[in-house]
Amino acid sequence: MNHRVILITGANGGLGQAIARAFLNESPDNFLWLGVRQRRDAAEKLAAEFPDRCEIAALDVTQPEAWRALVERIVERHHRLDVLVNNAGFHADSLLAQMQPEAWHGVLATNLDGTFHGCQAVLPTMISQRHGRIVNIASLSALAAPAGQANYAAAKAGVVALTQSLAKEIARIGITVNAVCPGFIETGSLAPLDTEARKTMVARIPMRRVGRPDEVAAAVRFLACSDAGYITGSVLKVDGGIL
Amino acid sequence: MENRDELRRRIKVMIVENLMLQVTAGEIDDHQPLFGPGSLGLDSVDALQLVVAMEKHFGLKIADQGIARRVLQSVDTMADAIQNGPPANAP
Repeated sequence: MNHRVILITGANGGLGQAIARAFLNESPDNFLWLGVRQRRDAAEKLAAEFPDRCEIAALDVTQPEAWRALVERIVERHHRLDVLVNNAGFHADSLLAQMQPEAWHGVLATNLDGTFHGCQAVLPTMISQRHGRIVNIASLSALAAPAGQANYAAAKAGVVALTQSLAKEIARIGITVNAVCPGFIETGSLAPLDTEARKTMVARIPMRRVGRPDEVAAAVRFLACSDAGYITGSVLKVDGGIL
Repeated sequence: MENRDELRRRIKVMIVENLMLQVTAGEIDDHQPLFGPGSLGLDSVDALQLVVAMEKHFGLKIADQGIARRVLQSVDTMADAIQNGPPANAP
């Protein structure tokens, strides 16, 4: 398919930016909607670089009404929506015994509820098209459940389960739903690590290096392409071999 | 208003095409249940597709599952909803 309309949430972050670039490089006919919440500087830079192929949209992924309005706007303009990448997310780590309820609910709301609302918002359009690709960004934490990330691990494990359940529901309609689980990736989330912590982290990775955002983006782009048409409900780790 | 027989025929075609059924539109009876024993054998995913298709083809928006259950009983009840609007949901 030459012309595809793609919606990426969390498009201002390092991973969102890499995913957007992967789709921009895939075809000159791809059109991207960049969902952003508060910060939008990086998304604006990208949109300025590709003014005819990107549109920035304010989107609080925790709000179903905001999702509905955005999808309506996209469909009004393009009469289709081919790909949704649920990438918006954040973590607020602490030991569970000390975790503030706000940290629990906030992480669940953005990472898990946001993915639920996104999938629900695009389904009528994708069902009507009898075609669609949904790629949910989960995390290695969903599978490894590290200490200090009870909220994030639970949210991302929920994303994995949601992905697998939804994939079964809509497989026959021609819509695929897959999850990508990045490991340690060179994005802003690693910035707080000091040199020692970074060394310890890298020592745990069989490839002895952290991943690049474009390496995760390549997996996302693959799961969204026509060659991946028979892949649904899969959970693809991009982690340098940790698990 | 559209002829009732023609409307039912269009609904049957929509059902067969959207759900890729192995029967022809002509083999579906107007009052044949869509779900359950002695029915066309549809399931909840089929119902989801029909709700979307009803809006796309006939402009009928079905707001919730309760109303969908009442509308999607047979081709005839679907025709009723298209011609008269969806039934109010039971409290």
